Amino acid sequence: MTSLVKSRLIKFLLSLIIVLIAVLIIIFNLRDNIIYFYGPTELLKNPDKQGQIMRLGGLVSVDSVQNETDSIFYFSITDGDNEIEVKYEGILPNLFAEDKGVVVEGVYMNDGRFIANKVLAKHDENYMPPEVIETLKKSGKWQGE
Amino acid sequence: MSLYIFYISNFLLLLCLTASLMQSSKILNNKIFTRPSIIVLASVQLISILLSFLILIYLFLISDFNFDLVYFNSHSEKPLIYKFSGVWGNHEGSMLLWILILVLFNFLFALSKRITERFKDITVAVQSIMIFGFVAFLFFLSNPFALNQNNFFDGIGLNPILQDPLLAIHPPVLYVGYVGFSLVFSLAIAGLITKEVNQQWASIVKPWVFSAWAFLTAGIALGSFWAYYELGWGGYWFWDPVENASLMPWIAATALIHCVLILQKRNVMQSWTIILAILTFSLSLVGTFLVRSGILNSVHTFASDPGRGLFILVFIFFILVFSFSLFAYNSEKINKISSMGLISRGTGIQVNNWLLITILTIVFLGTMYPLATDLLLNKSLTVGPKYYSTTIAPIIILFLFFMFISPRLGWTDTKLYKIIIQLRYLIITSLTITLIISLYFELFNLTEILIIFFSLLLIISSMTASINFNKKNILVRTNLGQNLAHAGFGILMMAVVSNAVYSEERIYNAKVGDNLQLQKYIFSFDKIEQVEESNYNSLKAYFLMKKDGKLIDTFTPEIRFYSNPPTITSEASILHKFFSDIYLVMNVPQDQQSISVRMHIKPFMTILWLGTLMIIFGGIISASIRIGRFDEK
Repeated sequence: MTSLVKSRLIKFLLSLIIVLIAVLIIIFNLRDNIIYFYGPTELLKNPDKQGQIMRLGGLVSVDSVQNETDSIFYFSITDGDNEIEVKYEGILPNLFAEDKGVVVEGVYMNDGRFIANKVLAKHDENYMPPEVIETLKKSGKWQGE
Repeated sequence: MSLYIFYISNFLLLLCLTASLMQSSKILNNKIFTRPSIIVLASVQLISILLSFLILIYLFLISDFNFDLVYFNSHSEKPLIYKFSGVWGNHEGSMLLWILILVLFNFLFALSKRITERFKDITVAVQSIMIFGFVAFLFFLSNPFALNQNNFFDGIGLNPILQDPLLAIHPPVLYVGYVGFSLVFSLAIAGLITKEVNQQWASIVKPWVFSAWAFLTAGIALGSFWAYYELGWGGYWFWDPVENASLMPWIAATALIHCVLILQKRNVMQSWTIILAILTFSLSLVGTFLVRSGILNSVHTFASDPGRGLFILVFIFFILVFSFSLFAYNSEKINKISSMGLISRGTGIQVNNWLLITILTIVFLGTMYPLATDLLLNKSLTVGPKYYSTTIAPIIILFLFFMFISPRLGWTDTKLYKIIIQLRYLIITSLTITLIISLYFELFNLTEILIIFFSLLLIISSMTASINFNKKNILVRTNLGQNLAHAGFGILMMAVVSNAVYSEERIYNAKVGDNLQLQKYIFSFDKIEQVEESNYNSLKAYFLMKKDGKLIDTFTPEIRFYSNPPTITSEASILHKFFSDIYLVMNVPQDQQSISVRMHIKPFMTILWLGTLMIIFGGIISASIRIGRFDEK
């Protein structure tokens, strides 16, 4: 083999190996880090989702917010048909309010309660997360246009 | 009055359309029509767009609410600077800004000398086709000068989170970067048509591609800095789709600038350089499309009109089809057979090109996967930030290694062991420092240690390479731009890793008089007061930071209540020290007695921004040196 062909062959094989390894790592990592979004009704229908990290969205139920201590909060998220109780430790975002849209991230426990480690902050009072709109449309409770 | 302005500004847009059409026809090499010279047409394009942009600024400054755009995005009580920046704080205005930069690059290139006439004609023609497309889009689908029939007394206002001096300059800087690659794309197409992608082509492209890259870097950095202090989450990068949309063209462009340098020096990799030029510009368009289409939810999303997103999508599609067909047709004719040594600088750069493309793929998949499942399976999901950090970190280790070793290798085959022996002191120094760091700070994660080690190697190597003496002990000119940017990248990576490992967060509910602790600092909650500003009311808390009983600084985190439109924002209070930032944010009180306050220690933030600045200046220096000094020894 001439040195040109040889060097091209080595480069080609090297790149092929790099690509293969890279693709495998990417796919495995992507699968491990996907966080699904559910509405309350959807989640109640799928008890097998318990124990997974996920996002849950809907409206904060009226009169449901309670705080146990200064930084532990309980509230319920509803889509009009069903609701799920959420426990959250931390700071609630400025625009968190009853009867407003909310998305939380955390784990759905086997006692039916949702332990949230993040309440996603939104910046606009009138902003409704599209997932929440979708959820409310599914339960027929969507009032907007 | 408003009606006159309406006619004048729309006339200006049509004038630009006509000039661009005439300019575009120069892609055909015929002498039947006599057309004004490219410089005359380029001036018409520039002046018409510049005037309409100035008119739009004027409309915002005088708050003429007869125009829809002003009505929806401005308010008479807004401070002057935000009336000004409100011009591009919306879809139509930002598109006009985009076009202004497009015609500006077109004009500047038309002025440049020492380029053959035919090549210049084609480049300007391709650029003008794009100008035509975007002006048509602006005129028909998102006209900034649309009038309304009502007599509105006042406007709706600009999203308060966008009312920030940094955000006034972030979009223009980012756009100069994005749009700069349009010219590089036009140059690539011109190179394909004239079949002259060679060393001379690379010299023409170099200043443009480097300046676009430097601006894109600066634009991304400004956005990141803004997110750091304005969003109040204590982070500077969230792997948010909008951030990823700007990172993707940056990664492709980073590969591209290195290929242009190899092409200039060795006349190899013609095809790959052209592919990267097309890819970079397409990704810049994808960035615009993703951000502007309303597909993503963020403060960046202005419009959710599907027609607009569709236009950009169709535009990208045509660009890809056209340029890749041209490429397939002509690529054989631009390639010259020439070789590089196997262990050589060229190979090192090629390997890093592959690594960059891998990182690009990772970011692309992570960004597009949720969009695809939402569209095809109607299933909402997000990709956690851990996906990016765990996948990219191992690649960064390899990337840093090749960044360190490649500039030390020659262009022809080099003996690797000789280089290693030559660099033994450097390697030993870095190894020792890494050991000390890992033992002293109890850092035992292999990935983190390796990133720090190779970053150190890269930093020290780049710094020593930039101080170079010849045999007479006189300081010789070295490749300052490259060394500065490379050292900056090493510093950035070290800071990113250390920041991720050593950040600390505490959350307290506090009443006036409380003393809160964060590491060795005590924060006394002194008072809370209401402040009335011209366009918002604010609740301001005062914390006195003490160390060993001595007062060091006062922190004043704020919550601002805007009324136009009604929004609440948290303003962080940050103390920047060289080795770490101290960051305080507060939230709306849960009850009347106490407020929630979140305190962060963010190590190495100043160093992180410093590294970024070095990268930007490295790019600027490389752009301003006309003849490449890539191989000067």
